[in-house]
Amino acid sequence: MRFTIYQESRQGGRANNEDRVAYCYSRDALLMVVADGMGGHFYGEIAAQIAVQTLTDSFQQEAHPGVGDPFRFLQKGMTNAHHAILDYSAKHRLNDSPRTTCVACLIQDSLAYWAHAGDSRLFLMRRGKVVAQTKDHSRVRLLMEEGVISEAQAAVHPERNKIYSCLGGGQAPEIEFSRKTPLEDGDIILVCSDGLWGVTSGESMAVTLKGANLLQAAPMVMAQAEVKGGTQGDNLSMVAVRWEESYVEPSESSVSTQAMTMDQVTTRLDEFGRNPSAKTDLSEDEIEQAIEEIRLAIDKYTPKK
Amino acid sequence: MAQQANHALPNGFQLEEYTIERQLSLGGFSIVYLAQDLEGRQVAIKEYLPNSLALRGEGEIKPQIAPDHQAAFRYGMKCFFEEGRALARLSHPNVIRVLNFFRANDTVYMVMEYEHGRTLQEFIQKHQGHISERFMRGLFTRMLNGLREVHSNKLLHLDIKPSNVYMRTDNAPVLIDFGAARQTLASDQPMLKPMYTPGFASPEHYGSRNDLGPWSDIYSVGASMYACLAGCAPQAADDRIKKDSLTPAMVRWDGQYSDRLLEIIDWCLNLNHLYRPQSVFALQKALVEAITPPTEKKPPGWINRVVGKIKGAAKK
Repeated sequence: MRFTIYQESRQGGRANNEDRVAYCYSRDALLMVVADGMGGHFYGEIAAQIAVQTLTDSFQQEAHPGVGDPFRFLQKGMTNAHHAILDYSAKHRLNDSPRTTCVACLIQDSLAYWAHAGDSRLFLMRRGKVVAQTKDHSRVRLLMEEGVISEAQAAVHPERNKIYSCLGGGQAPEIEFSRKTPLEDGDIILVCSDGLWGVTSGESMAVTLKGANLLQAAPMVMAQAEVKGGTQGDNLSMVAVRWEESYVEPSESSVSTQAMTMDQVTTRLDEFGRNPSAKTDLSEDEIEQAIEEIRLAIDKYTPKK
Repeated sequence: MAQQANHALPNGFQLEEYTIERQLSLGGFSIVYLAQDLEGRQVAIKEYLPNSLALRGEGEIKPQIAPDHQAAFRYGMKCFFEEGRALARLSHPNVIRVLNFFRANDTVYMVMEYEHGRTLQEFIQKHQGHISERFMRGLFTRMLNGLREVHSNKLLHLDIKPSNVYMRTDNAPVLIDFGAARQTLASDQPMLKPMYTPGFASPEHYGSRNDLGPWSDIYSVGASMYACLAGCAPQAADDRIKKDSLTPAMVRWDGQYSDRLLEIIDWCLNLNHLYRPQSVFALQKALVEAITPPTEKKPPGWINRVVGKIKGAAKK
């Protein structure tokens, strides 16, 4: 498995960030999740956190090193998340259950499987074009499909944020599954919250991300979207992966899972709260300096003969 | 599932000025080779190569480090430097001596003295339960000289066990493998778990590690002494905390060794670190006190008092 991955969540113009993002991978499988806690409801960010946590936890338990049935895994993971949110609200005696959208994508053997509930989206981009995307579970999208309103009207429709499927809440979620989709070298899969796709079209993002260094282009897309969102802008989040075949010139930041053991899982999930502190790293100079120091100490403490 | 093992450098490989003779041992963190320097002197070379982060295939020289592991690999290298730094400052006949330190093949190497001998572990296995009190006292007193030197440099060994006590052919002990020394690893580096050996690691090793101190190494010394008598490691400290089924040395070898020695072992193996000897010096002092040969009869009340005291302390 070889890929480049980037994830980020920004607050936008809101008082707090109710989006949650995570990815985790084992030797043979990669999972990406975006959940957008619903602001109109209590504890939106908690619902989002529970959703992401539930999915990553079950990935850690099952991906040894791949999951048995990816669709079953997604279905189970999202249903469990839904119930975990209900359990949470029961335990804390909340009047209304917190809710969140959720989109999750699992890649295994260069095949992508995804599922979603609500209006967080997945885009599959190939050679600068969007070749597949999820359909939002919103009334506005239904109206648009029926031809009642145009795309331009939908973009400014007052009820464009109303969705009819989500995790948490009284109704069981409507979870929609993709088809088993083979990936090509260079394909980009982007999962994001409406804060991102609401201000930037999938097509324009596909063009920006095409061919460019993902780790530079993706933050740029986020930054531009945040500016467009303005002072009242929604939270915006993304996890983007560029799938790479093994013979491709390895780029500096790509991940190889060759050295991982069968039961090892790497997870990147930001803590509740703000950015965790950066990792300490050892520079070339520091290595040279440490060796020099040790050699001096050896000389100094070696008894002269 | 089994961790995949890294391939060692081939025999006869020329590593800077050293010629690799053969692999001595393979650990999760490093490979140790026997090699010869330019003057034909035998040395041990330790290669930093953490299994979980770097992969060297068959016939390869440079390990492959996944870009994602680069940070963790470098972090582990820092720990390797700590070990080098710690050892470089120590010049003591009972502590392994570092001779050189260099960088090659995208990783780092530490050259140490090599002498013929065997580890205490091998010795214990050979002499299953027939190690004399005189030998024990002599060995541990000298070994503690080395440990005292370590502690006086504000270092902890943290992995003292019979297989890390090397005995030269004249039975002079040498402390080896300072890989665990000062490895206070950050929690955000899940791939580099702090290492410890069940049975020899102190209870403090398992917890938050804030209570680690000379007394933690002393627990390991006590466990090693216990292992000399028992022929195997005592019950692991984390199990003992749950349910202590370790028979005190005072009870198990009553009459076969001097009370004082058995008492010292139980003293070191107290679960509560405050009830152990607090410094190597205190332990050494107790060890070199005049030996009273084991007496056949002892007033039972006194024994029970001591055993009761130990049990009571263990419960705290």
